[in-house]
Amino acid sequence: MISVQKLSYVYSPKTPFMSQALFNVDLEIEEGDFFGIIGNTGAGKSTLVSHFNALTRVQKKSGTVIVDGIDLSSKRINVKSVRERVGMVFQYPEHQLFDDTVEKDVMFGPKNLGLSVDEQKKRAREAIELVGLNYAEVAERSPFELSGGQKRRVALAGVIAMKPKILVLDEPTAGLDPVGKRAVMDLIVKIKTMCPTVVMISHNMDEVASYCNKIAVMRRGAVVGVYTPRELFGSQEVISSCGVRLPLVTEIASKLTDSGLDIDPSITDEDELVEALLALKEGRRRA
Amino acid sequence: MPFLDIKSVDYAYSSGDDEYIQALQSVSLSIERGEFVALVGCNGSGKSTLARLCNGLILPDRGFITVDGMSTSDKKSLYEIRKRIGVVFQNPDNQMVTSIVEDDVAFGPENLGLAPAEIRERVDWALNCVGMSEYAKSGPLRLSGGQKQRVAIAGVLALKPQMMILDEATGMLDPDGRAEVMNVVEKLNREENMAVLMITHFMEEAARADRIIILDRGHIVADGGRELFSTPEIFTDAGLDLPISVRLAQKLRARGLDLGAPLDIDSFVSSALSALDVDRGEAVSDGEKNHNGGGEV
Repeated sequence: MISVQKLSYVYSPKTPFMSQALFNVDLEIEEGDFFGIIGNTGAGKSTLVSHFNALTRVQKKSGTVIVDGIDLSSKRINVKSVRERVGMVFQYPEHQLFDDTVEKDVMFGPKNLGLSVDEQKKRAREAIELVGLNYAEVAERSPFELSGGQKRRVALAGVIAMKPKILVLDEPTAGLDPVGKRAVMDLIVKIKTMCPTVVMISHNMDEVASYCNKIAVMRRGAVVGVYTPRELFGSQEVISSCGVRLPLVTEIASKLTDSGLDIDPSITDEDELVEALLALKEGRRRA
Repeated sequence: MPFLDIKSVDYAYSSGDDEYIQALQSVSLSIERGEFVALVGCNGSGKSTLARLCNGLILPDRGFITVDGMSTSDKKSLYEIRKRIGVVFQNPDNQMVTSIVEDDVAFGPENLGLAPAEIRERVDWALNCVGMSEYAKSGPLRLSGGQKQRVAIAGVLALKPQMMILDEATGMLDPDGRAEVMNVVEKLNREENMAVLMITHFMEEAARADRIIILDRGHIVADGGRELFSTPEIFTDAGLDLPISVRLAQKLRARGLDLGAPLDIDSFVSSALSALDVDRGEAVSDGEKNHNGGGEV
């Protein structure tokens, strides 16, 4: 679905402020992936994903990016057809709401796709309902009157209304309270049924461990590796070489293992850890 | 007299068309010098409104707020109040005022009219505290979100306030950045006796404070020490999560393995180890009896 080969990127080339953000990045994202990208601030995560919808253009002789068959490194590309395919949700997407009603704001994307007004309205309605808002209640309201969580939903609806095949999210739960975080993650899982490929940048290891099937680790502009959650969080070697923090559950499991308990140190699920501890207790009682 | 004293404060903000939203109602609390307080609550519970009231950015509709004996409603005191309470907000982009990192950090101390050498010293110290010394000459706009936030924190540190309010200041940082900021804040609290009011959604961070205040829809519903975590309902009723160690212990207790209420990962691990060892011994003597394994609260 997305194929990145030998991608490099330099900010402000040939100036004193020149700084290289990406170094020879190779990456394959397949249809149906819930693909996580992790790494510290400044690792190049956002620069990388901004290539996926041609917001950042591939620089000359700096590798290739192919998205759903479109070669984004070629000289002339149809930006519109790329943005139709790739929905991009930035950090704090609610800051980008701008129109005076929720419906108009959500219709903006479909409008730019050149759809008929009827189709724009239909799409807006479907998207608003999909994100769990009551269309009749919010359609005519100003998006700025809504609560923070609702605003973020409207912003997501605006992207979904374009019916992208690929959804790219940059820290979708940042700044939300625990209830809001869960609601947004549940929503993304729901959206994934119609937009099967999801790419998510996250600093939240617990979220990455529970939702993603593949995780790319970035460090100083390079992809260190792509792993399954178990491979990544279960291997001390990978962890320490990547400078990654463990999900908290895994941190506990691995500390228990280090202290001599017979527990799988790569557990990434709380309930699994609870069961493992209870099984140990049971085993010791019998012994 | 407490350093920060908030008495019976109400605050409502306009949502347009003559409609008002009551953000805070009858809120009273005081914070002493050197205290480390976490303020938690859902989005919309009034946390940020409270932070803005503390240094007079907004004024209460009813009740009063004093800082070091000075009222925030007295315009002439605001300068002195803001020297004493530094606020770091969530979005660093709104807090940058210059085009060079070290100038940005120097902005506060310069406004205090300090000697250049003193300013230099404070700026270097503050940048070092947040691990941004190597970026001293960079432009803030070229930094990533987390780096910008660390510069914003340095800007407040450079004022050497007596109290620092962090309004979800770690919300945008990566795990390493967050740990660094927490360590810096704890160090300032411990070594400089700086009072800290930390607004956060990370319950693991809140559990590191000495005192936790829970806001729910504009009301304070709990204000106490870490022992609050041994009554998980106080948090869940307010729509909050629990630190993972408390959550796991709660699930285990429901299934007959009592680890107390460990507040961090290390105490969870040691409680689990001792509970499992003890259980082995007890199994022989009196079967199912639960053991309270070294609760930290």
